[in-house]
Amino acid sequence: MRTVKILVVCGTGIATSTVVSRKLEEKLSKEGFEVSTRQCKASEVSANLEGIDLIVSTTPISGELKVPVVRTLAFLTGIGEDQAIEEILQKLRGGDKVKKEDVRKDNKNFYERRNSNDIK
Amino acid sequence: MTLNDIISGLGVTVLLPVILFVLGTFFRIDVKRLFRSAVLIGVGFIGINLILGYFLNNLAPAAQKMVEFTGVNLPILDVGWPAAAAIAFAGKIGLFVIPITVLVNFLMYVLHLTDTIDVDVWNYWHFAFTGGLVYALTNNLWLGMLASAIDAALVLVLGDWTAPAVQQYYGIPGISLPHGFSAAYVPIAIPINWLLDKLHLDKIQADPESIKKKWGIFGDPVIIGLVLGLVVGFLGNLKTLNDAKSWFNILQLGMSMAAVMYIFPKMVSILMDGLIPISEGVRDFMKARASGRKFYIGLDSAIAVGTPAAIASSMILVPIAIILMVVIPQNRMLLAVDLAVLPFMVVMTIPITRGNILKTVIIGTIIIAVGLLIGTSLSPLFTKAAIQAQFKMPSNATQISSICDGSNPLTWFIVKLINSWYGVVILLVVLVLFLYFYRTHSKVWEKIAGAVEVTEENK
Repeated sequence: MRTVKILVVCGTGIATSTVVSRKLEEKLSKEGFEVSTRQCKASEVSANLEGIDLIVSTTPISGELKVPVVRTLAFLTGIGEDQAIEEILQKLRGGDKVKKEDVRKDNKNFYERRNSNDIK
Repeated sequence: MTLNDIISGLGVTVLLPVILFVLGTFFRIDVKRLFRSAVLIGVGFIGINLILGYFLNNLAPAAQKMVEFTGVNLPILDVGWPAAAAIAFAGKIGLFVIPITVLVNFLMYVLHLTDTIDVDVWNYWHFAFTGGLVYALTNNLWLGMLASAIDAALVLVLGDWTAPAVQQYYGIPGISLPHGFSAAYVPIAIPINWLLDKLHLDKIQADPESIKKKWGIFGDPVIIGLVLGLVVGFLGNLKTLNDAKSWFNILQLGMSMAAVMYIFPKMVSILMDGLIPISEGVRDFMKARASGRKFYIGLDSAIAVGTPAAIASSMILVPIAIILMVVIPQNRMLLAVDLAVLPFMVVMTIPITRGNILKTVIIGTIIIAVGLLIGTSLSPLFTKAAIQAQFKMPSNATQISSICDGSNPLTWFIVKLINSWYGVVILLVVLVLFLYFYRTHSKVWEKIAGAVEVTEENK
């Protein structure tokens, strides 16, 4: 099972991103991924990129980002969820170059950070 | 033991999960999932209640001392949208708001009075809030529910009206934003924008990205909270600055406010989490019944708030709001938590101004100035609604309000009118005229809300 870290972005980091996070965890676990999500506001994306494999956003985000971005409303509207998951899977698999070890190491850091200073 | 005794005895942390569980079974949600999410909703309420209590217990005494020592007379504390939403859902009207809104939406859709199917169940709280204030004012459950229904109906039509502009500007086809707070400002923004165009202010362009870099500090709620706590603490301890204890107090208040700004929304996300199964149930229920003709899916305006123009304008509006709250003599509101909500205030103005920061900031300034007066005038009802929803106030003297929705002009308009029979008539006439003129002249209306006509050239 591959672990992926997804940054879920919306206007508040609270509202629609919570919905999308739960949906991603549910859908991607069926595809054999262990998903850990972090939520943030669109204006805070660049500060939250460390260790992130993919950004899924419900709102426009700007700036130069080194991480692939999927902007979708499918998980809110319930329309086109399958295509959105397909796109996300494609981007995740495209990023397979990252070694599993590294992914795990980063992930440990991610949890440490999460426990120490963030209530996500 | 009467029904009322049972209701107040159980309290909202038990009652609301029970009601949502029952409602969820109606929408045929898997019972195991539903049960857990109902419990989460109770957990979210307890979390919000904890932080609200912490916030008030810390800020209220300091604000009181500030009023005494400096004459900065801002005793009404801005508890922000997290508390407003919790108060709205926890009130008597809040218990009914989901079926009321679904019914209003469904009827209007069937009668071709709206094209929006509002699946954003969380933001039904705006309608519950309006109804809750009306209930606090009249003690009449039916009037409260009527107010919620009228609010929902007006916001649905506002959602339809702005849908083409929002879809084009934000690139979200098939979506509308029937958001009780964001949409309320559209009718105000349009005439002001027209006036500003006459003054040729649309020619002055500012780059949102460079503003974001320069003003970034005003976009960070933690820093806003810290500074606000320090300033209020300083003013409250002005007479005893030679005592070290005063400085401990000042620094602690700064930290406390930073914590509130950060933790408060996290508590809401617990509530959001709990609402997901119900939201999906409502969504699938409505979509299944709306398959007859085309419809817009109504979502939270949070999906548009990330746009650079919204972030940049609201960063500039934060210091402006703080200046306004001090210089407007009639204002009694001490802005705090909702300094973080300003992007939602401008997000539907931006398609109207075409992302022009200067115009958006001017419109925002006017809206906030008027909003402070509305927030001040609605504060007694706001406070009463909070007490009716069993939120504890640190003392009888504590008064609360918020920008979202305590300063909402649409909420104010409904609350002020509904307490008399002719007011109700006026409200219904406004609704009917609004519907009639929008429906018969929809293309023209949509254009003034910022939609671009699709022609062969710009297709």
